[in-house]
Amino acid sequence: MDSNPDNPVQDQDPASESDEPSPADPNQNRTDTTEPDDPPPADSDINPTQTSESVEHNTVEPESSVPERLKSLTLQEPSSEDIRQKHVSNGSLPADFYASDEIEIVEEEEEEGGLASSSGGGGVVTWTNRSDGPPSPSSSGYAAEGGSSVASSGGVEEETEGNSDWGREKKHFHEDDGSDSWRKRKKHFFILSNSGKPIYSRYGDEHKLAGFSATLQAIISFVQNSGDSIKFVRAGKHLIIFLVKGPIYLVCISCTDEPIEALRGQLELLYGQMLLILTKSVNRCFEKNPKFDMAPLLGGTDAVFSSLIHSFSWNPATFLHAYTCLPLSYPTRQAASAILQDVAESGILFAILMCKHKVVSLVGAQKASLHPDDIFLLANFILSSESFRTSESFSPICLPRYNPMAFLYAYVHFLDLDTYLVLLTTSSDSFYHLKDCRVRVQNVLAKSNVLSEIQRSMLESGLRIEDLPSEPTRPPVERINTESISTQRTVGGSAGLCHFMYKSVYLNQFVSSDFSAPLKNPNQQKRLYRAYQKMYASMHDKGTGTHKTQFRRNQDYVLFCWITQDFELYATFDPLADKAQAIKVCNRVCQWVRDLENEIFLYAESTFSW
Amino acid sequence: MASRRRMLLKVIILGDSGVGKTSLMNQYVNKKFSNQYKATIGADFLTKEVQIDDRLFTLQIWDTAGQERFQSLGVAFYRGADCCVLVYDVNVMKSFDHLNNWREEFLIQASPSDPENFPFVVLGNKIDVDGGNGRVVSEKKARAWCASKGNIPYFETSAKEGFNVEAAFECIAKNALKNEPEEEIYMPDTIDVAGGGRQARSAAGCEC
Repeated sequence: MDSNPDNPVQDQDPASESDEPSPADPNQNRTDTTEPDDPPPADSDINPTQTSESVEHNTVEPESSVPERLKSLTLQEPSSEDIRQKHVSNGSLPADFYASDEIEIVEEEEEEGGLASSSGGGGVVTWTNRSDGPPSPSSSGYAAEGGSSVASSGGVEEETEGNSDWGREKKHFHEDDGSDSWRKRKKHFFILSNSGKPIYSRYGDEHKLAGFSATLQAIISFVQNSGDSIKFVRAGKHLIIFLVKGPIYLVCISCTDEPIEALRGQLELLYGQMLLILTKSVNRCFEKNPKFDMAPLLGGTDAVFSSLIHSFSWNPATFLHAYTCLPLSYPTRQAASAILQDVAESGILFAILMCKHKVVSLVGAQKASLHPDDIFLLANFILSSESFRTSESFSPICLPRYNPMAFLYAYVHFLDLDTYLVLLTTSSDSFYHLKDCRVRVQNVLAKSNVLSEIQRSMLESGLRIEDLPSEPTRPPVERINTESISTQRTVGGSAGLCHFMYKSVYLNQFVSSDFSAPLKNPNQQKRLYRAYQKMYASMHDKGTGTHKTQFRRNQDYVLFCWITQDFELYATFDPLADKAQAIKVCNRVCQWVRDLENEIFLYAESTFSW
Repeated sequence: MASRRRMLLKVIILGDSGVGKTSLMNQYVNKKFSNQYKATIGADFLTKEVQIDDRLFTLQIWDTAGQERFQSLGVAFYRGADCCVLVYDVNVMKSFDHLNNWREEFLIQASPSDPENFPFVVLGNKIDVDGGNGRVVSEKKARAWCASKGNIPYFETSAKEGFNVEAAFECIAKNALKNEPEEEIYMPDTIDVAGGGRQARSAAGCEC
């Protein structure tokens, strides 16, 4: 383990590491972090010697951890001596054995209520028929989501994405804030008006929760009255996050140990989903009539919100703010793009061809670009509303990142079970025109076999870590010569690689590998997803700026994150992975992704004039 | 959008401390009464489902604290109320005298769009005390004041005996409903791309 003296490995006080002043954070046993000032690497290769700075601070008050972190940054001459001394002085273990000290036995226990294994609700709640279990286990965003279903056995909570049915029977309407089962839910979401009238609740009947809703409003308004605004409250294991958007209040109550920033991001998406359905014009309703009861306006959209909240625990797009593409050969995607472009020139703002949550191709009018969050929210809206599947639809929708104030009109048609075409226009009377466009697109896609290629891609597995080329296909120029990498691991790929996600910063797109052997269980996947999310939050810490690399080890896995101007890479290794080897493997992953970029990314969102 | 969904009505209960606001609410919602006085801190919230003319409603009842030190909460609490219930103790003259202050303070802080016609209901509570012998505010006097404030409905109640409580709250719900504005069509703007990109053009019809 200690083969690489250039890599300082230090223990950190877990509590002081993150922006989350949690007293004991099981995930954060150990981190190496390079600070943003560190000059970016000349090319996208990284070598072990680059992680040369280290953060050390062991006694930071949780509340002030973010600013303190900056102040207490100590740049050290890293050497293995330091570490050994440190460990010796701790009196924990003989220096020779310090490496084993890194692996702390931690109990990662989270699993939000509805989705949790039976531990969540004890004997009170029955989990059978949970309507919003994680969809497909292949949350890889690049995987055969099609028919694959590794839903957990025993009817616990997981459900496959294909025949997702959450929403219709979700919610547990019988529950209210007096029910034990309601109180035991691990993650609540609420939307309410600034007069305390409930608008949405993830669990339970909104009207039965009117009193609870009023309490939330009282708390928020009380702080607002003093010219301040309440951000969050920590109460034991629970974190209560508040988000005020004009007359709309959003609240999340969670004991899932997710970072504050991540939960706040989820509230933002919840608000975005609401805007997608209603636009910001609802604010005017409150200006005209403070008594305005908004809940009826959202009638019939429970499924949309359930599905959204559910995706917070399986879809990386919710925190990466990037979209993912269905892998297709370059000519196939080009063919799809060409026909979209063709029809789009007749006054369409955006033309999007999607397969489940993955983009096949998208084309936008001149100067108009689609934010990944809008794509995500739109896809969620369409996929969770059953009526879109049964017939062609024309519906007003709002793209909150594009223009939160006003409606667009979306023509939606499913070309097959999973593939759908969305044509967005500003004209409310162009249904028949868009219908004609759709027929043209459908014909071309059928004739050119694009549709069958899409289906094939859905069924095939995506990026499998086992397929990672053992040698760089194109040796990078400035690569440090290293001995060949051991691949004798029994699980995972090279050097114990289990999984990775790669986000292209310029393209706003990400790709992730299939979940393989050690990560077949949906709960493990969710846990890993949460770990990535936590990693993301600490890498993009607002207090300290963006970090460049982070290497984190706990009993379940090693997480490695690497951020450059061009990409963000999140990789998971088995817990015994060697750091130097892991970094080398990450270089190969990046090279691999670059080799495949024409198939896994959508290039040059076409623009056109009209 | 005349939905099948229940409507929610926000009801604020105001009045001096000790007049029986919490007891009235408890009697109404839980059919319970306790002789023990427990001062409300800030506000209590209760919900009750009611049926009026075949429609279901949820009353969200805000039982506020009567003590003056909680008055700063006013703006936050009063906003968006559908009905305001003013409670006094028929055995305490001061609590009746203060009704005017409570009413005015509410109108200032809640600033409803049509203050003249904002629905209030006045309750004279504790008529059971001493068999009515300790009474200092006559029904006539109370009704006169209510009439002078735009014919506010008036009820004499006993939270202890549950007298008139149900009727009072039914009136409260109906009054809250009466003031409900016409349901308007929700019609946001549409993006007008031709008019210079991302500006929205004003909706021609009703702006909601």
